[in-house]
Amino acid sequence: MRLNLVLELIDVPGQLLDALKPMGKLGANIVAVIHQRDVKTERGTIPVQITIEGDKETLDRVMESIEESGIQLVSVDGVLRKEQIITILVGNIVGEDVQDTLARLNHLEGVRVADLDLKMSDPPENSATKIIIEADYGQKKKILKKIKEIGNQKGLLVINEV
Amino acid sequence: MKIAILGFGAVGKGVAHVIAMKKDYLQEKYGLNLRIVAAADSSGGVIFNEGLDANLLLNTKKEKGKVSDYPGYGVSGLKSLKILEEVDYDCLVEVTPTNIEDGEPALSHLLTAMENGKDVVTSNKGPLALSFRELDDSARFNDVQFRFEASVGGAMPIINFAHENLAGCNIESIYGILNGTTNYILSRMAKEGSSYDQTLKEAQEMGIAETDPYQDVEGIDAACKIAILANSVLNRDVTLKEVEVEGISKITPESIALAKKEGYLIKLIGEASRDVLEVSPRLVRQGSPLAVEGTMNLATLKTDLAEDVSVAGKGAGSVETASAILSDLLNIWRTKK
Repeated sequence: MRLNLVLELIDVPGQLLDALKPMGKLGANIVAVIHQRDVKTERGTIPVQITIEGDKETLDRVMESIEESGIQLVSVDGVLRKEQIITILVGNIVGEDVQDTLARLNHLEGVRVADLDLKMSDPPENSATKIIIEADYGQKKKILKKIKEIGNQKGLLVINEV
Repeated sequence: MKIAILGFGAVGKGVAHVIAMKKDYLQEKYGLNLRIVAAADSSGGVIFNEGLDANLLLNTKKEKGKVSDYPGYGVSGLKSLKILEEVDYDCLVEVTPTNIEDGEPALSHLLTAMENGKDVVTSNKGPLALSFRELDDSARFNDVQFRFEASVGGAMPIINFAHENLAGCNIESIYGILNGTTNYILSRMAKEGSSYDQTLKEAQEMGIAETDPYQDVEGIDAACKIAILANSVLNRDVTLKEVEVEGISKITPESIALAKKEGYLIKLIGEASRDVLEVSPRLVRQGSPLAVEGTMNLATLKTDLAEDVSVAGKGAGSVETASAILSDLLNIWRTKK
């Protein structure tokens, strides 16, 4: 079985070795490594594509060790990893068409609204809504910006995480 | 060192107080004798080359409400710019009330002093948030010291902290809680579950919020400070107008409760980086460095070498803010010796 992984490494000597060593040690075959130190993401990190081969248990163990190592996993077989974004909107969210707000959020690339908690108040202008979004890894900044735009258009106060 | 103090409100009085308190200490430890050769407030001024008596000055202000009533040497209606022309001084301490419309009269005071080859120390956010580059350029051109630690975070070291203690680091961004009034209000609302209006009223009664709280609660005060930090620490060239500002007046107890459920607090955060300049209510993880309570200020600097470094301290207060002015005066003294 093969897995195509994309990792993000910090630009510090030894990072690539640290990423590859455990894979070999756990018994996975490293089939291909594409590493271009000159190519950097907007976060200043260096993406590395690694193709590994092994049976299911071996590959599971490799995935676990990557999680534990703290090295950023960006995608597995082309499927981007998810990160959670939380935001709170204050204002008459119901009056401003909740369905539309959710639709616009879901419409954003790589975004899925995972949770919504609505605290209605009287008057409705003081209602508060907590929204938890699952987004593709690396998109957080862009998405927080979009949430603000949507909120501003609807006259809602957007409280994003720091 | 001969200093002229323009402005004798909370901070001006604090400076006089601190000078009186630390007179012997400054002499013994640093060989520094801070001589107040002039002081002015809206009523006029007082000039005395041999050095005003700080305690007498404070008492005069306390009892008569104006420094121009200082016995023997006070002059009613004396204009501040005239004082700067006539007085023989080394360093201007500019602590007049903040004006965020055009930064005057502080801007003129600072430029005049610098053009006359005098060092300046100020706590005044107005000119710094509106005309920073002009002031910085003038200081360089006239080869004088231009210091303003007291303008951001009160007693909390941040400007000098970034420049001196983190020298060699590239500071990528700054996050901060830079306004004590709003932090107090949000902390109270979180603790008591009270409404914004109710909590603001309480804060006003306690003197933590002003009678006209607009600049604080709408985030303008924090925005001035973020602009100053962006200019000074991040080497950007911005003014107050470029800061995206959202205050706390729309925060509700319901939103705070929702945040709490997820393990977050709502704080008014100022953020400055290469492409962001913003003051807005944000979700802050409970237990993270930004989760300070009450009237405290806090700043976290993200650096390349030292990673995240945080400072916290009292953001306001007469003597507290004056401590930052004293620190700047000492820095100038030690540089020039």
